[in-house]
Amino acid sequence: MSRVNVIVLIGFVGLLIWVFLFGQDTVARIQRGAQSAFNPVISGANKVEEVVTGLGKETLSVVELSARLEAAELERDRLRLEVLRLDELVAENDALRRALNYVENSPLKLVPARVISRKPSNWYNTLVIDKGRAANVAPDSPVIVPIGDQAGLVGKVSEVVGDDSSVVILLSDEVCKVSARIEGTAEQGILSGQRGALRVMPDLNLGYLSKDAVVPEGRLVITSGAGGLFPGNLLLGRVKTFTSGPLTGEATVEPAVNFDVLTNVFVILPEPASPEAAKAVEDAEEAAKAKGEEGGGGRATPIEP
Amino acid sequence: MMYFPIIVVLLALSFVGQEFLPAIEWAYYARLLLVHTVFYCVAVTVPYPVMLLLAAATGFLWDARYYVPVHQTGSDQAELAFGFTMLLFGLFGSVIQGVRPLFRRGRWELPVIFIGICTFAGLVIQYLVISFHRGGLYLSTEMWFQMLMTSLFSMLASPLILLLLSRLAKWCGYRIRLEGITRRFSYGDSL
Repeated sequence: MSRVNVIVLIGFVGLLIWVFLFGQDTVARIQRGAQSAFNPVISGANKVEEVVTGLGKETLSVVELSARLEAAELERDRLRLEVLRLDELVAENDALRRALNYVENSPLKLVPARVISRKPSNWYNTLVIDKGRAANVAPDSPVIVPIGDQAGLVGKVSEVVGDDSSVVILLSDEVCKVSARIEGTAEQGILSGQRGALRVMPDLNLGYLSKDAVVPEGRLVITSGAGGLFPGNLLLGRVKTFTSGPLTGEATVEPAVNFDVLTNVFVILPEPASPEAAKAVEDAEEAAKAKGEEGGGGRATPIEP
Repeated sequence: MMYFPIIVVLLALSFVGQEFLPAIEWAYYARLLLVHTVFYCVAVTVPYPVMLLLAAATGFLWDARYYVPVHQTGSDQAELAFGFTMLLFGLFGSVIQGVRPLFRRGRWELPVIFIGICTFAGLVIQYLVISFHRGGLYLSTEMWFQMLMTSLFSMLASPLILLLLSRLAKWCGYRIRLEGITRRFSYGDSL
């Protein structure tokens, strides 16, 4: 081995040790720099994709466009009237709430976000969204998506890369563990993905259930709210099978969210909207606990963007 | 010496290309690791010190772009440390340097096979490190197939990249030297 090779090899090893000793802040700063450098490429590609997608759409004649415009104007007028009527209802509702000394109960403060890319990792199921520090997104913030009139859990924010970018680790990843319960039963457990889960909709494991649990197939699995990281009653999936082990039972759960078609998601911000809302959350939790002690099951949370 | 700046540009372009390469459903959601493949191909054509410098730069940029800081509960240590890709590139780049003489003599089969093996080995090492952190070794057939398909994609892409590099080297007047076996074969004898 020549002297130059040895010197460069020693330098390489030294550099490697130096990089391995980087703190989390340094790594985050480097990743923010890389993200900023790649942002023009990604946003440019997104614009090209939008243009290309638009090319395939039908071209409309002037007559058809006029008809559509007329219909849209009619719809706009109808909605204006409806808004006026709703304003009256809101005012009436506010007056009644004040009369009853009712505290506004809107614990979830949501930020809409767009999925901009996925990291080409073989071992982690992640995606990148276009909201970050500027939108008050924080690590571990839950990410949800509407499924019908319910909110389905997508995953949690793993890392806030910059002002307008965050990495979300999906529910299908083994690392994303969620305290869950089976709707209509007292069964609670920990839901997580599978290591190296490759499929678009990989089955999830709900562990630490009672070994003698009676878990009907197709029953909804929702977040329990225990631990405080994820709000309660977010939809996770449906029970596929249940196997009883020597100490605990384990259920296989089909996820409610199709992780492959995610384009728009909502991030739940870490802090409640107001002190009143914080109090409302506490009251709601106490009420839920009292209800839980009575053995009642809950419904999945309706989404309120 | 236009060749070295050109391969740096090529590696930078591979990062841009990687952004748009999707996982392929029928291939067990494997995808072409374009940056890895281009780096391993470049490693066949450059001297050892240059390879190490490129391993450091490429691995650093890969981690800067794609590193996911996943920690186990109660641990500050990430499963795969920042800089792990630099280590893998340095390690497997050194392995691939062993087949440089064959590539210079016009034999591209063994470098291509080595590129596939190194891609596969890199994935296995990453998986073993993750398993070590999480405890328990869970292996599934799908996972093996995904790693194999990823390696296969690298092997399929590498002849094209090696051909491109050969053309670029010729265009720049760069000679891929026979380091390591220069004492046994002179440059002229090997042709």
